[in-house]
Amino acid sequence: MPAKSVLIIDDEVSIQKVVSLSLKMEANWSVITASSGKEGILQAEHHLPDVILLDVMMPELDGIATFEALRDNPVTHSIPVILLTAKTRADDKQLFQKLGVAGVITKPFPPLTLASKIAQMVNWSL
Amino acid sequence: MRSNPDLCEFSFRQAVASTQLLTALGQTPLAEVMAQMAANPEASCILAVCRHEVVGHEVVGHEVVGHEVVGNKVVGIATRSDLLRTLATKANWPQLQLSQVMSHPVITVSATEPKTLPSLLERFKQHRISHLPVIDDQSQLVGLIEKKQLLQLLHDQHEPSEPYQQHQRTQLLAEITLKIRQSLQLKEILQTTVDEVKRLLSADRVLIYQVWPNGTGKTISEAVAHPYRSLLHIPFPEEVFPENYQALYVKGRVQAIADVHRPDSGLSKCLVEFIEQWQVRSKLIVPIVQPMNPSAGVAPLSKQLWGLLIAHQCSHPRQWSEFELDLMQQLAGQINLALSQGQLLAYLEDRVELRTAELTEANDALQREIKERQLVEAALRHSEAQLRLITNNLPVLIAYVDRHQCYQFNNEVYEHWLGKCPHSIAGKPMAAVVGQAHYQRIHGHIATALAGEAVSYESELTFKDGRSHAVNVTYVPHIEAGHKAKNRIEPLVKGFFALTTDISDRKAIERMKDEFIAIVSHELRTPLTSIHTSLKLLATGRLGELSHDGQQMLEVADENTDRLVRLVNNVLDLQRIESGEVTMDTYACDAAELLEQAAEATHTMAQQHEIEIQTQSVSLSIWVDPDYIIRTLTNLIGNAIKYSPPHNLIRLTVEPYVEKPVEESIEKSIEKSIETTHHRDRHTASMPTPQQALFCVQDHGQGIPSHKLAVIFERFQQVDSSDSREKGGTGLGLTICRKIVEQHGGKIWAESELGQGSRFYFTVPLRGDLERGNLEPNVSSV
Repeated sequence: MPAKSVLIIDDEVSIQKVVSLSLKMEANWSVITASSGKEGILQAEHHLPDVILLDVMMPELDGIATFEALRDNPVTHSIPVILLTAKTRADDKQLFQKLGVAGVITKPFPPLTLASKIAQMVNWSL
Repeated sequence: MRSNPDLCEFSFRQAVASTQLLTALGQTPLAEVMAQMAANPEASCILAVCRHEVVGHEVVGHEVVGHEVVGNKVVGIATRSDLLRTLATKANWPQLQLSQVMSHPVITVSATEPKTLPSLLERFKQHRISHLPVIDDQSQLVGLIEKKQLLQLLHDQHEPSEPYQQHQRTQLLAEITLKIRQSLQLKEILQTTVDEVKRLLSADRVLIYQVWPNGTGKTISEAVAHPYRSLLHIPFPEEVFPENYQALYVKGRVQAIADVHRPDSGLSKCLVEFIEQWQVRSKLIVPIVQPMNPSAGVAPLSKQLWGLLIAHQCSHPRQWSEFELDLMQQLAGQINLALSQGQLLAYLEDRVELRTAELTEANDALQREIKERQLVEAALRHSEAQLRLITNNLPVLIAYVDRHQCYQFNNEVYEHWLGKCPHSIAGKPMAAVVGQAHYQRIHGHIATALAGEAVSYESELTFKDGRSHAVNVTYVPHIEAGHKAKNRIEPLVKGFFALTTDISDRKAIERMKDEFIAIVSHELRTPLTSIHTSLKLLATGRLGELSHDGQQMLEVADENTDRLVRLVNNVLDLQRIESGEVTMDTYACDAAELLEQAAEATHTMAQQHEIEIQTQSVSLSIWVDPDYIIRTLTNLIGNAIKYSPPHNLIRLTVEPYVEKPVEESIEKSIEKSIETTHHRDRHTASMPTPQQALFCVQDHGQGIPSHKLAVIFERFQQVDSSDSREKGGTGLGLTICRKIVEQHGGKIWAESELGQGSRFYFTVPLRGDLERGNLEPNVSSV
């Protein structure tokens, strides 16, 4: 399988780092990072990644608003988005399901199986 | 008026007629007439008159002038004897008037008509009258001639005639009788009698001697002239008055002795000597005899001697006349009558006294009872006031509902919170008070309470300000040891007590707490993710080799990060379950399958601890959320593995389970047994169809102390505080298990024996009818 590109949008730099390392080690995917929703949209437009890992709780433009912006953007609207979040409440889960995201991965996640879980959600084969 | 020839023809004005007249109008009440008579003891009669105007004459200068004056015309006459007769014979005399008892028409004599004494006496005889009013030429009453006085005049000239004596005796008797009857006091009557007799007979001593049943006696009333000795209150021995004398007196013997010293007196010498000391020369003795008291068991006609009426003449011998003897006898009769009246009076007074004492005692008892009742009532009022003070000031709704679901008591908080006055809802059905919609939501709880089981639930109430408040409602059944049926006492549920607490504030705090926990947990998760991921990646060794010590430290960090992640996850799970965020997605599952899946999920862990897991199950269709039931089972199996020594067996079973019958629910309500330690009888052949499945996880580990069994399902209540460190537990696993089971409507509890192991049970509902297709147990080992 050709190398995939993944855009990580998370205001926590530590998360950017561990997720990047995990995906590189396990699947050798190229990783692009952004620390805010706005930056993430720009990076998405610019790099057109294969999948976007999007944190939900971010200052200013949060994950939901960022996702809706990506959906509304003709350049990025077809890029699958997987939410990476610590929100596990039932009402949150219901909201995520209604958004139409490709999947939801809750923090903390097992790093060694992260790539395979993403691939499963977007129907890639590793 | 002595013997005088002029008396043959005389003017009444000069000699006979009395002008001191006692008059009254005919309509005068008899009581007033009697008062007049009593005030004028010398008057022998009263004349009834009518008032009218007549022409009077007066000399003015040298002329005689006529003028009109008010005069009295006699219309009737009533003698003292007439009046006494009336008193004696007519009980209604106080209502009578003079005109009703007087004699009329009245025979009169003219004042201007010359009369001789014989002619006057002839008129008395002719008309059989005793009084002759004298009138003037205008028929005005001017005087009165009494037959007695007329006879006295004649007596002064001649021997007293028989009619005169008869009249005198009657008159004396009447006077004494009147005096006697003016009193009801026996002592006074007796004294009056002796005084009057002494006066009338001119005796030296008159006494009344009372005879006692033993023959002795003493003088109880006496009138004695100076200088003779008094016998009053001196007791006389029986010898003075022997029994044969008494017998004679009872028969009415009257003894008149003119001279005690005469040989024919009939007195013994010793008796004469004895009475000499009292200076007695002559004596007249009349018995006072009474009928015997019928209650004494004697014949009604029997008589007894009460005493003697005795007249003594001390100065000289005296020949007692028939008149005197007769007078004494009649007076003895009057005394007898007075005695009867006195005895009756005494009896009545005794009765009155007795009755008064009884009434006083009854009144005292009544007063005491009233006082006691007042005290009790005051205590009750005080107690009720205190209860009302408490119930009305506690910030809770308190009510009592009877078995017909009608309110019988509500505290005033109903008014403050809901705007419902307790008086207005008393006796009304709950459905009418709370509304049909709300009643539909709570009627299941009401039925539970009326079945004898305490129930508690949360609900929403709309207060009178329109705001909705979260409330916690508890129904406690009012159970009495009720009627006997089928040889045993059936508990009787008479109603239930309802306690409603406003938990809005608590709910708000809980929401804040949940929010806080959610935020904190979320904020923990992010750094934990970084640490956890970093450690996992380092542990792969692909980022570079670590020294042996470095590798060990990495493993410690990794394990504790895992534990911290579990703790955060458990805290969040528990918070979600408790806050109702988690909705169990229940459907029909096979209990045996879930048991196998749980065993499989813990297989690796069991291998690591060298533990064998054995399952034994029947195929039961249960109505559960399989993910949560598997989580419960894996949690219990994980604990069993952790607390079992190596090479041990853990047994997993699932089987049908029968809930205890309703009566036991009532007992349970009364005894308030602790659910988690309640040992339950499992299914027996006689029990009804099972409605639940019972899972059991049995280990042979160290066991749990009995005092810990009740609390191990509470948060952070490990058997040993070091457990969480040694075993990597979070202290929330069993609490989550309990919450999951309770969300399914089941129960969870544990039984254990130290050193022998533990058994954790939980129940979940069956789908419906027990699937009996395969009741043979499936046994497998993992």
